[in-house]
Amino acid sequence: MKGRAKLGSMRFSRVVPYVLSAAVLLAVSGAADARDVYLNIEKGFGEKITVALPLFEGAGGMVDASNIRDVLMFDLSNSGHFSVVENLEFVDETEAADRATGSVAFPEWIALGGEILVKGAFEAGLSEFSLEAMVYDLGQGKAILGRKYAGEAGRWRDVVHSLSNDIVALIAGEQGIALTKIAFVSNVTGTKQIYVMDYDGENRRRITRDDLLAIYPDWFPDGKRLAYTRYRNQRQEACIVSVTSGVVQKLTSFPGLNAFVAVSPRGGDLAMSLSRDGNTEIYRLQADGANPKRLTFGRSTESSPCWSPDGRRIAFVSDRSGSPQIYVMNSTGGTVERLTYRGGYNTSPDWSPEGDLIAYTSKVDGVFQICTVDVETKEVVRLTTGWEDKEDPSWAPDGRHLVYSMESGGKSNLYMLDIYELEPLRLTSGGGDYLSPAWSF
Amino acid sequence: MKKVLALLLVGSMAVVFALSLSGCGSKEEVMEDITIEPEVVEDIEGVADGDIPLDPRSDDDIYIDLLSKVFADINFEFDQYRVLDRDVPTLESVAAWLRENPDARVLIEGHCDERGTNEYNMALGEQRALAARRYLVGLGIDSGRLTTISYGEERPVALGSTEDAWSQNRRGHFAVAM
Repeated sequence: MKGRAKLGSMRFSRVVPYVLSAAVLLAVSGAADARDVYLNIEKGFGEKITVALPLFEGAGGMVDASNIRDVLMFDLSNSGHFSVVENLEFVDETEAADRATGSVAFPEWIALGGEILVKGAFEAGLSEFSLEAMVYDLGQGKAILGRKYAGEAGRWRDVVHSLSNDIVALIAGEQGIALTKIAFVSNVTGTKQIYVMDYDGENRRRITRDDLLAIYPDWFPDGKRLAYTRYRNQRQEACIVSVTSGVVQKLTSFPGLNAFVAVSPRGGDLAMSLSRDGNTEIYRLQADGANPKRLTFGRSTESSPCWSPDGRRIAFVSDRSGSPQIYVMNSTGGTVERLTYRGGYNTSPDWSPEGDLIAYTSKVDGVFQICTVDVETKEVVRLTTGWEDKEDPSWAPDGRHLVYSMESGGKSNLYMLDIYELEPLRLTSGGGDYLSPAWSF
Repeated sequence: MKKVLALLLVGSMAVVFALSLSGCGSKEEVMEDITIEPEVVEDIEGVADGDIPLDPRSDDDIYIDLLSKVFADINFEFDQYRVLDRDVPTLESVAAWLRENPDARVLIEGHCDERGTNEYNMALGEQRALAARRYLVGLGIDSGRLTTISYGEERPVALGSTEDAWSQNRRGHFAVAM
């Protein structure tokens, strides 16, 4: 998988601004030798590593130890690689005994079913939240990670997410998604506006504030800007909005359609649909919206482009066969290849970070479901069931999770799905519709 | 590394298993898979035959709804953008009005019902507006006087999930700038 961390190579947080670097590695004997640890816990097919999560020691204003444990539990279970030791009462008793003796009772932890143990202490101050964590390989009876984290008090969840990501990197050898964000559209204020939330549905914040109808956000790879489409003066404008400042910059405002802006993986190009030549077609533009080059030609409808992770191909929707289907072409245009044949309504493609699959929306027996198609074999796998319409899948950078919208009871909400476990998890609730999700890089 | 691969393998198997449980893909669909030939098409560069480029719009144009029978909405079939025979008289009256009002310009709005996917409806709405525009150009109206916008499923005129509401919402709407 792309993005798989090299074993033993620790990653520091991208987000927490002042995680101390080398200085914070606590004294851990053999900590650098992560490879051995990893092999030691290697298990059979599909089994998960069990992790014991006692409450961290500490106190503070707005955060208590159970808040921290909840975040860690969510992150680690959700990663797909861990199951958490469930008997929390015994876990906390064992931790209390450890604290009394000032040691780690490895046999006790193993008896609880643990393979990995995460202990920690935190300080939740008014301005700063700090956390010191130790990760133990219980089978080997030794610490494998010791690290200190700190961040602004209001962003304590990001500090805990950083620890989760480090554990996922150390044990599973993958870059975790605990610090990723999801952009989406919501009409909670009446008019559809662009919002961003953490990947677990927390910290929802409004990004566009001009009350101009705003749709179809897509991330720039820097994670700081979103491309989207808004309506102003009875025309569509493709724009960029800064996630941090909310400042909006216009990209295009051609007559007709200016929609479905898809930012290339390196951020240097855009693909989108325009109708300025009199028909809805795919165009490629510079990242500032300049020099549109038309890529598709014909009388059919070409929409919803998305880039392959290497930037060399573009998947899109075309009705050239008589019904909307997914097609692929080079990102410079040219030969067009049809990917989907099953079903009469296949739309909103998103290319997986590994490049092997395209997730899309497919009408199956009258209901919109989320499916994937293998780019090489064209094999289709349906991921969702039930009578509710789902649409607009977007991949997480781990290539394992998708987010999509599902309509139920007249309202749309966002759901996260692990494509290997297929148990959708609702991320949004309350007061309006939540649509068009885009997972950050 | 081995573990990760193993996880992936099991994961794929689980997906295939879930698929077979869910009964995805009826026998008819499988038949369809086999009978359709792979389709590879070379798109020819250049503006396609019959494309009528949209002229740049003035930012000063404000299009308003004229409460006149001339500008009745036209409607479309589900998932289609072909102009229907029954709307030809409306388009002819719009064309006649534009001939009598040579300075007027028209914004054609394309709208959809709620049933398609949000993104595809946006494209479909634009195609509906463009189809009406193409028809008016065919009736002799200068293409520079006709511009388009799609609202997809954002602006329904009829609420509810009934066939009647859907058919009203699949529409082309005309707004006028004088």
